[in-house]
Amino acid sequence: MKKRSITLFINGEECNITVQAHHTLVHVLRNQLNMTDVKHCCGRGECGACTVLVDDDKAPGGRKAVDACMVLAAMMDGKRITTVGGLEEDGKLHPVQQAFIDEGAVQCGFCTGGMIMKSVSILEKNPKAKEDEIRSELEGNICRCTGYVKIVDAVKKAGSWSTKR
Amino acid sequence: MAEYSVVGHRIPKLDAREKVTGRGMYAGDLRMEGLLYGKIVRCWEYAHAKVKKIDFSDARKVPGVVKCVGSKDVTQRPYNTTIMKLLVPEVFADVFGEIADLNIFNPVVKHQGDAVCGIIAKTEEAAERAAEKVKVTYEPLPIVMTAAEAKRKDAPQFTPLKPGNLAADFPEAFFPGGAYGHNTPDGKTPAQHMKEADLVVEDTFYCPRQKQVQMENHTYIAKYDDRGRLTCWTSTQMPKPVQNLIAELFELPLTRVRIIQAPIGGAFGCRLGMIGEPHACALAMAVPGRPVKVEFLREEDWVASESRASGHIRVRAGFKKDGTPVAIDADYEVLKGGYYTHGSGPPFCTAAFMYGMYKWQAMAMRANIWFNNMVPYGAYQGYGNPENTFAVEQLVDRACNQLGLDPVEWRRKWHKGIGDDTWLKGVKFASCGLDDCIDKATKAIQWDKKKKEYAKMKGTKLRGLGLGVMQHTSGAWPMLLEYTNTIMRLNEDCTVEIMNSCSDLGTGGHTAVTQMAAEALGWPMDDVHLKCCDSDCNGFDIGAHASRTIYCVGRAVTQAATRLKQELINRAAKNLQVQPEDLAWGEDKEIYCTWDPAKHMNARRIAKESIYSFDDPATGKTIGIPGQIVVTGDDFVKHCSPPFSASCAEVEVDIETGEVKVLSFVNAHDIGKAIHPPSVEGQLEGGSQKGFGYVLTEDIYYDKNGLCLNNDFTDYKMLGPSDMPVDMKAILVESAPDPLGPFGAKSCGESALMGPIGSVANAIYDAIGIQINEAPITPERVLAAIRKNGGVKK
Repeated sequence: MKKRSITLFINGEECNITVQAHHTLVHVLRNQLNMTDVKHCCGRGECGACTVLVDDDKAPGGRKAVDACMVLAAMMDGKRITTVGGLEEDGKLHPVQQAFIDEGAVQCGFCTGGMIMKSVSILEKNPKAKEDEIRSELEGNICRCTGYVKIVDAVKKAGSWSTKR
Repeated sequence: MAEYSVVGHRIPKLDAREKVTGRGMYAGDLRMEGLLYGKIVRCWEYAHAKVKKIDFSDARKVPGVVKCVGSKDVTQRPYNTTIMKLLVPEVFADVFGEIADLNIFNPVVKHQGDAVCGIIAKTEEAAERAAEKVKVTYEPLPIVMTAAEAKRKDAPQFTPLKPGNLAADFPEAFFPGGAYGHNTPDGKTPAQHMKEADLVVEDTFYCPRQKQVQMENHTYIAKYDDRGRLTCWTSTQMPKPVQNLIAELFELPLTRVRIIQAPIGGAFGCRLGMIGEPHACALAMAVPGRPVKVEFLREEDWVASESRASGHIRVRAGFKKDGTPVAIDADYEVLKGGYYTHGSGPPFCTAAFMYGMYKWQAMAMRANIWFNNMVPYGAYQGYGNPENTFAVEQLVDRACNQLGLDPVEWRRKWHKGIGDDTWLKGVKFASCGLDDCIDKATKAIQWDKKKKEYAKMKGTKLRGLGLGVMQHTSGAWPMLLEYTNTIMRLNEDCTVEIMNSCSDLGTGGHTAVTQMAAEALGWPMDDVHLKCCDSDCNGFDIGAHASRTIYCVGRAVTQAATRLKQELINRAAKNLQVQPEDLAWGEDKEIYCTWDPAKHMNARRIAKESIYSFDDPATGKTIGIPGQIVVTGDDFVKHCSPPFSASCAEVEVDIETGEVKVLSFVNAHDIGKAIHPPSVEGQLEGGSQKGFGYVLTEDIYYDKNGLCLNNDFTDYKMLGPSDMPVDMKAILVESAPDPLGPFGAKSCGESALMGPIGSVANAIYDAIGIQINEAPITPERVLAAIRKNGGVKK
């Protein structure tokens, strides 16, 4: 099995590792780097539980949401990757994280990390995203606990904070 | 209404922060020294086959493989995944015909995904690669999918314990005539009553095999250590009963089985009893001293863990001209799947909830539960109630339509309430807020205004309104054991530790239990810590099922809090040399004498001196009263305080495509008292998503060989964020606090799933004038029904 030596910049830290060429990003994050804040669920890009942000020059905000189970780690060589564990700044939660707590959008929590990362990308693309846009963008991130009501409310709330600032 | 300082407040959930940062550690996130990986080899190619031969020779060659484990390498004891046997008197279990027909690795595959053997390897990848290399030779057996096929004389037999493939029915010994239900005091049966009815509505309804689809795949770690203790980390809903089941299966005393509960990534019933715990433990016992992790893949989770019961239910309901409900009578043909597991439970509850809702003079339901080659059904939020709701709520609207009665008024008039039997005869409703729920739900959806507007609608997109009501339960008494033990220990700084085995499925249960304890003590939340994840220190609790946590555990912790405060009063009385009755609680843990405020002392001192107790060097007298205060809360509640709810749905049916869109939805829930309101709303909103799924999109489909056609998120359609109605309201009705519920609370854990079922089905009926008897009501079924009727009947 082929190996690749790659450099990832994960949550601001440079990380030089050798990965199996066939291993997905979620596999490497969880099993090689012990970053269990990224959850594994369907393994085929259907549920969004493993969503992370990867830099992308074309994306507004410079990064886009990616299912970490749908990309090979080796293809991420040189990329900046943000996981939900890297959103806090100096112990202060990201507004989307805070809004999820305030609005009661967290139930079992298994989809939450991916859901928050997707929500961050939605608001980076359009801080004034309206309800319809939020709902349609969140398709692909599955939650079975909340009926999405409080999740959508949380994204709207976080959006309103960021546009006020 | 009483003002509370903690209960009813919208505080952040205790586990919210660790979940938004990703720091919450689920079973799959745990890391351990020397961890090995187990893989269950499952049969994917057949739904029914004999295992002729297992050849591990290629699998053993895969680098990293530690051990290949065949069916003879593990215990041969058959088991049942459920705890039913533990929760009813022994004689009941016998009468109900509870059996153990499942093995860890099965010699005959009875459904796709059945476990055949196992692999242990150094990495997950090696275990998976080796599992693929195991050569299993099968002898295919004839497939049994329908009740008719199961009944055939020449049908293959699933187990010698149940000849004729009849897994269960309602046994004559309990149910005269083989029917759950009740005749009138004069002995008249529903059939006899039915002759006096002016109108009998009757139909057969198909109830789908819905999947729970919790987001976290089933994952376990097990370890058999050098002391001969078996530890299992699991996200089970029922840590204590699982400890019992594992002990029985592996013939160990409870002292040698430890269950550590990991946070639960969703459950909805699918983690009731055992799922992969036996396999993880058996693999761990094959490599003593090493922890073994077993993580299901999503596609395994789908076919190897239990679903909701499916089948056909025929219901007859009789009414007088004025709407008086006369009798209801039903026959339910249920498809069990390959193993017994929850055989009798869900169909029994379908009947029970049918009994509990309306004032029928007589009621009867017979059920036959047939083995077949589907994934076995088990527990799922609602447990039998969705089946009842789908059929009965539609028949009520049909009868109202034919009698020219208003379905809202009919329900208001004929629902059961205080003093009537709940879902079990003899247990009477102690509270009922349904009238308020109906008022609030119909008002919120603008029932009268929209009803008039939509009656005149023309065109290809027709709108309709529907109402559905339900009653459910808080705990499973009197059907099942209802017991919880709580230990409350006072720390030396006058804070408390609570030990209870209750699990939190993400519903906010632990937050609410802590709130109730804090409120009952009169102390801040920070002074209370709930410890509930380790069988080594927790007493007995059944676990999270039957919507029982707030009601049953809440009663136990408030009882413990009362005892703890009384002990503090007793000690203060001794110290102050007054009677306990003379003392009262003041601010900030102060205890004072009511007739002499100069006599007072603080509970903090009592707490400190209970541990740091010395003899005064000058007088030789003991300072304070020695002995840490530890009390228990022991609750065997003899009731089930059912909550009610009323739901209104507004739908738009496209009669050209058959598509149904839910435009708005209101669920008004008779909660008694919302302990943690955001969690109650969350339960109602999330339950609705599954209820919409039941009535509109969700069913497990099989091909003719019994192989599952939709075991993934793409082919199994659940409502996504843009399918859900944007206009959703959850209304918490607190006008009918329950005299037995802690702070008046009734349950909300399961009940919201039923709301959309009756209301959406009835809204479709209102929109197109045709009822659709098969759930989910897919566009195909809508179009077929319109075609069969020669157009809409509006």
